Amino acid sequence: MESTHLRSFVASLVLATSAMLLAPGTAHAVPSFARQTGFACEACHTVFPELTPFGRRFKLNGYTIDNLPQVSGVNQNKEQTLQLNELPPLSFMFQTSYTDTKKAVPDINAGGENGNGVPVPEDALAKNGQILFPQQASLFYAGRIAPNFGAFVQMTYDGTSGQFGWDNTDIRYARKLNDNFTWGVSFNNNPTVQDLWNTTPAWASPFDQLSATAPMPGAATIIDGGLADAGVAGMSLYGYLFDAFYAELGGYRSAQAAAQINSDSNDVVKGTAPYWRLAYEHQWARHSWEVGTYGVQAKIAPGNGTGSLSESNEYKDWAVDSQYQYIGDDHMVTVTTTYIDEKQTLDATVLAEGAADKSQDLKTFKLGASYFYRRIYGAALGYFSTSGSHDALLYPSGTPLDGFAHSSPDSEGWIAELDWLPYQNTKLALQYTAYTKFNGGKSNYDGVGRSENDNNTFYILGWLNF
Amino acid sequence: MKAIIAIAAVTALAANAAFAAQEPQALATGVCSACHGPGGRSISPVFPNLAGQQSDYVMLQLDAFRTHARGDPNAQAYMWGMASQLTDETMKGLGDYYAAQKPAHVAPDSVSLAEGEKIYNEGIKAQDVPACASCHGAKAEGAGAFPRLSGQHVEYLIAQMQGFQSGLRANAPIMLGVVRSMNAAQIKAVAAYAASR
Repeated sequence: MESTHLRSFVASLVLATSAMLLAPGTAHAVPSFARQTGFACEACHTVFPELTPFGRRFKLNGYTIDNLPQVSGVNQNKEQTLQLNELPPLSFMFQTSYTDTKKAVPDINAGGENGNGVPVPEDALAKNGQILFPQQASLFYAGRIAPNFGAFVQMTYDGTSGQFGWDNTDIRYARKLNDNFTWGVSFNNNPTVQDLWNTTPAWASPFDQLSATAPMPGAATIIDGGLADAGVAGMSLYGYLFDAFYAELGGYRSAQAAAQINSDSNDVVKGTAPYWRLAYEHQWARHSWEVGTYGVQAKIAPGNGTGSLSESNEYKDWAVDSQYQYIGDDHMVTVTTTYIDEKQTLDATVLAEGAADKSQDLKTFKLGASYFYRRIYGAALGYFSTSGSHDALLYPSGTPLDGFAHSSPDSEGWIAELDWLPYQNTKLALQYTAYTKFNGGKSNYDGVGRSENDNNTFYILGWLNF
Repeated sequence: MKAIIAIAAVTALAANAAFAAQEPQALATGVCSACHGPGGRSISPVFPNLAGQQSDYVMLQLDAFRTHARGDPNAQAYMWGMASQLTDETMKGLGDYYAAQKPAHVAPDSVSLAEGEKIYNEGIKAQDVPACASCHGAKAEGAGAFPRLSGQHVEYLIAQMQGFQSGLRANAPIMLGVVRSMNAAQIKAVAAYAASR
């Protein structure tokens, strides 16, 4: 197949699914699967959304294990043409949260005027102690669509934007050829949302949920949420051999909600961004251990008023990850870690005078450990760090809250969490994030007087799935 | 990339095309093996080895899951759902499939083997515990409704006996009486011996 034909074929295939696959947010677990399979949450999750070894196999096999009465169809050749749950496996999620930062964030209109044209003082602060009710509310269809064919589809009302939109989606076809080999295809809208382990960004454990309103460090790699936020749709082919070796190869294309992607669009992925994943998992008794690598390579046209999609930035992300789980009747321990190395070639940003040097890099490291007693009481501790090359234009000083010190993207800190799950589908979490470095510095990191620990965040999350 | 596209195109067609009704063996390979392992030899002791298990016993348990007669925690979490739509025919097919598989082998635990052997073959007369061998067989291979214990995870056997004691697993009236007076050390010893036969 010639490359232009290849590209247009990929484009049409991806576009065919992109109507369903749009910008996702965060990650969740679903009682839809419990309704379909008849399994309690604990079959697939240690504590949601983290997966058990069985949960990983359920996902690998296309979400198709089904124990509901069926509407069936068969043709003259005794081929099954329909296998549909009599009742759809739907479920609902509700999250409510409280966020308190050590010092309130600056008012978005500080130094300017508010919506009524009234001047707002330079040092004005937004309200601290913000409640979101909901932080997110989601509706899921999650379960089998047809033999060997299943879906995880999430629609979410986002409490920060006040809008209902499309969220994580993973539609997959899987076949188990024999005891030793399973293969499948995933159509999804967020690189790593299809992944089986909780080390990769889309379903990172233990801190899968963070405050939706607290300040976040200004620099992140594109595989760590950036590509998903840009609006992409992807397809990948995977295989799992000897219940141990996992390999996946796929590609992502821009799939923004637009009649046309043109010079008005932002963050457009040029061509197809390849994605790859290799992992090895070993299980013994009640333990499992995974080690793997994953990555993506994308050319992204930033748009942002530069008026053309011809100039782009290139990002090459390469990551390693590892996960250990012990799942006992009383005690459960999980340790996850990942290291992401991103090489950037910022031709478009340099042209728009947004960076002095086109060659940049970012490195992110995350390590987290959690302990649960009888899946009811839990505690988790984690460390995170992002560091990278310095650039005065890319990481400028002087913007309240968002400015950078020393032209550096470096951020670093710790997260601690206490959890209580009175029921398997109900979680209450108390979380504290403490920064030791934020946007390149400590005190006065933004150049306007804000310190790294002003962004320390106390966060309470109530999370219901039903 | 070409390979991915080719396979995706094929699967798009295959998704609503040929799919034969699931035979017991296909069910065992495609579904049961996710927990019970290939051929019914599992890794985690949460899930029992089924390889070489008595066909009648497998059928009885599946029926007990279907009717909720067996209600220990993992039975409820996994098997109530799993067995809910099974027909008697499929249950028999699954029982026959697993009975025909080569049993797992559990290495003997030398520390507690002597005490376990005594309990298994002679029972504990002072506590009115009968010999296990009288129902489960001299080699713990089981017979009909009495399950094979040989090759089973020790931890699984212990959990079942604890379940009989606490009443969480109440679908085996004979065993409720047998284990009533046994202490933790005796349960551990006899489980280790039976599994290693």
